[in-house]
Amino acid sequence: MAIRDDFPILKREINGFPLIYLDNAATTQKPQVVLDAMNNYYTSSNANVHRAVHTLAGEATEGYESCRTKLKEWFNAERAVLTSGTTEAINLVAHSWGRANLSEGDVIVLTEMEHHSDIVPWQMLAEERKIELRYVPVMEDFTLDMDAYAASLDGAKLVCVVHTSNVLGVRNPMEEIIELAHSKGALVLVDAAQGVPHERINFQEFGADFMAFSAHKMCGPTGIGALLINPDVFEKMPPFMGGGDMIETVTTSGSTYQTDEHKFEAGTPRIAEAVGWCAALDWMSKLDLKKEHQRLIGIGRWVAAELRTQGMSVYGRHEKHDSAVVSFNHPTIHSEDLAHLFDARGFAVRTGHHCAQPLLNRLGVSGTVRASFYLYNTMEEAELFVKQLKEITERFG
Amino acid sequence: MTYPEELAELIEEFKEINDKMERLEMVFDMADEVIPYPLELWDDNSRVLGCQSEAHVHVDLEDGKVLLLAGADAKLVQGLMGILSIAINGTAPAQALLLSPDFAEEMGILNTLSPSRSNGFRNMFDKVMIDIRGLE
Repeated sequence: MAIRDDFPILKREINGFPLIYLDNAATTQKPQVVLDAMNNYYTSSNANVHRAVHTLAGEATEGYESCRTKLKEWFNAERAVLTSGTTEAINLVAHSWGRANLSEGDVIVLTEMEHHSDIVPWQMLAEERKIELRYVPVMEDFTLDMDAYAASLDGAKLVCVVHTSNVLGVRNPMEEIIELAHSKGALVLVDAAQGVPHERINFQEFGADFMAFSAHKMCGPTGIGALLINPDVFEKMPPFMGGGDMIETVTTSGSTYQTDEHKFEAGTPRIAEAVGWCAALDWMSKLDLKKEHQRLIGIGRWVAAELRTQGMSVYGRHEKHDSAVVSFNHPTIHSEDLAHLFDARGFAVRTGHHCAQPLLNRLGVSGTVRASFYLYNTMEEAELFVKQLKEITERFG
Repeated sequence: MTYPEELAELIEEFKEINDKMERLEMVFDMADEVIPYPLELWDDNSRVLGCQSEAHVHVDLEDGKVLLLAGADAKLVQGLMGILSIAINGTAPAQALLLSPDFAEEMGILNTLSPSRSNGFRNMFDKVMIDIRGLE
């Protein structure tokens, strides 16, 4: 199969068995073109970006900035700040926009479905500024309580919501969420870390004010991500981190700052990672993502149904826009034990709270086993996974 | 590292098994070696922090020798508690403190011994050693 052939790591054996990698919601594997691009960069073009006239610096700058250009094209966005990942992107909004615009008594609306990276920065800001945080509950059917959401918007200045849950795979009704928030005068930050790998989002049509995501969830390298910002909001945001590269002038009496995305990119940036991400986007652009998503959610839905048949508690609904994430618990085998047993047969699955403890509290569990499928996973692998679980139950259940 | 005789034999037994699932099964069986720490006594003092599973340990002295009582909801963690019990129960605290956690890696059970949220064993081992030091 062509897609799999591009990923050298998938030829590995783990404990004597072929690797079946089902931990894609944590991070995805990298195609050879990404590895080559990063290797070529360090082999042939390594230099620091921007202020230098020599050839290598020009190539490094071109490589770094072409990632930004590509992201703007991919997402139809006017402003794309390169960050270390989703977490830094959200912290950037909290430190820059949050500190400039929020004060005592203001309200931020979050949901119980958020990843810790979209909770903790707001809790820290709330403590500092005496801001009220409201959490939209998750209902029995694993969706957000939209009535509670609408009611929570009174007086809200910002809504922070996850596009697709990393635990449930549920894709939230973002369009409705954004429209409602804007109608009440609140800005919207979208944590799209799990959304962008599965769905080509047109940022301007989408209408969010901020969108954060990471390269490594979409076949790119770790250590780099982006924050897309509505240009009107962007203009009014002050820098939050000082240093080289983000200034216009520096004197002993003060500094002036760049006005474009560089105002948020102090210090030497992640150049090789940007080059690698570019290669990943080029690689992904050759795929029919919609078709691949349909195939993957089909696999996810089938696995979820099989697991329920085997007596597992499965968390998620696996509808057509959801991602192919199957979180579950075994009735008698602890999730940590189960993950070790799967590893013994070459399957990589994740266990624990998945950095979403409020959601797991709502589900009434302390952890789950999570199998998440991506572009290179096949139905055959899903069948082997289901079969392996049955064998484990027969032997250890 | 030189291990107590019983543990050294156990390590050798584990090494003879090529299949990781079989090794895990052996660890699960070792869960029975644990002297249970009663559920009603589980509290923040006994909790192994940073562990995915709920794991509790309590170290005591019996006639001057170490006695480990423990319990966990994950069988792997409880099995490793059983192996640790074999290694340290009935030894003097000073001798117990000489034990290295490397045996779990040598047995081919864990991929890494670095403290992490996914590695209940290392967190548990460290807590037991700290608690033994507290007995001295």
